[in-house]
Amino acid sequence: MAVMPIERGKIREYAAATGASRAEYLDDPFAPIPPTFLATVVFWDDLPRVFDLPETRAGCAAIGVVPDVRRLLSLEQEYVFHGEILHAGETVDTGLRLDSVDLKERRSGSMALVRFTVTFTDSAGELRAECHYTSAFLTSVGGSA
Amino acid sequence: MTTSDVGIEAGQAFAPREFGPLTMTDIVRYQGASGDLNPMHHDDEMARAAGYPASFSVGMLGAGYLAAYCTDLFGTRSVRRFRTRFRKVVYRGEVLTAHAVVREIRGSGDDARVALGLELLDSSGAVVVDGSADFLLDSMKSIGSEEVSE
Repeated sequence: MAVMPIERGKIREYAAATGASRAEYLDDPFAPIPPTFLATVVFWDDLPRVFDLPETRAGCAAIGVVPDVRRLLSLEQEYVFHGEILHAGETVDTGLRLDSVDLKERRSGSMALVRFTVTFTDSAGELRAECHYTSAFLTSVGGSA
Repeated sequence: MTTSDVGIEAGQAFAPREFGPLTMTDIVRYQGASGDLNPMHHDDEMARAAGYPASFSVGMLGAGYLAAYCTDLFGTRSVRRFRTRFRKVVYRGEVLTAHAVVREIRGSGDDARVALGLELLDSSGAVVVDGSADFLLDSMKSIGSEEVSE
């Protein structure tokens, strides 16, 4: 868990980096966040810690996968927003939880699908946004590294 | 419901938008902005050692382009859900084109939402990022017909 300030300058920088041209992102002191802006949570919270949680390790062990962040692929991210879009000047508390670990077989080998969620709660205690991540560990074959 | 009282209907497509040609500057600027400093996106030697022809773009940059495309169309405060999946690696020099199509309209009143299908295509027409998003229907009232294509 971390405390993440929603900063005007960061919003302006992120909007420019993604080609977003709406004036609110660039000029509004209370700029709303762009739809994928909460990816910047990594400046405040250490998301890979989800792979060290006992439940993640147990889930991986149950399907015979050793979690190795060097073999990690990010597949999908889904942001869900509740109520008013977060804006510059607000501060949120982040939370992190494991949702599931599943084995997926593919022609090119098997992989462990890890689904986890980052939550963003405002100073009034309201859940304002969630990001559902789907990542995959490629499994090693025959014990090779 | 397939047609709304603001003239949005299932199957309707919006005018596409191009991004790029993608440069190393675009990639490192996104990496700095997002905090994802994975060197596979800016270190060609490292990428070649891993079997790629060159370093490649960040999946979330493509997702960010789709987000910018949507907020340019529908405004900045009406997004309620935004999902993207990474489908294909993108290299420098690529021109990417964002597309959106209305899948359905859900709910009614102030909370009525337009469910969109999203695609970011490369110059060969391959999907590099696909996704779906919900925006409040209310935000579509201001869209002029010139922004809509069949």
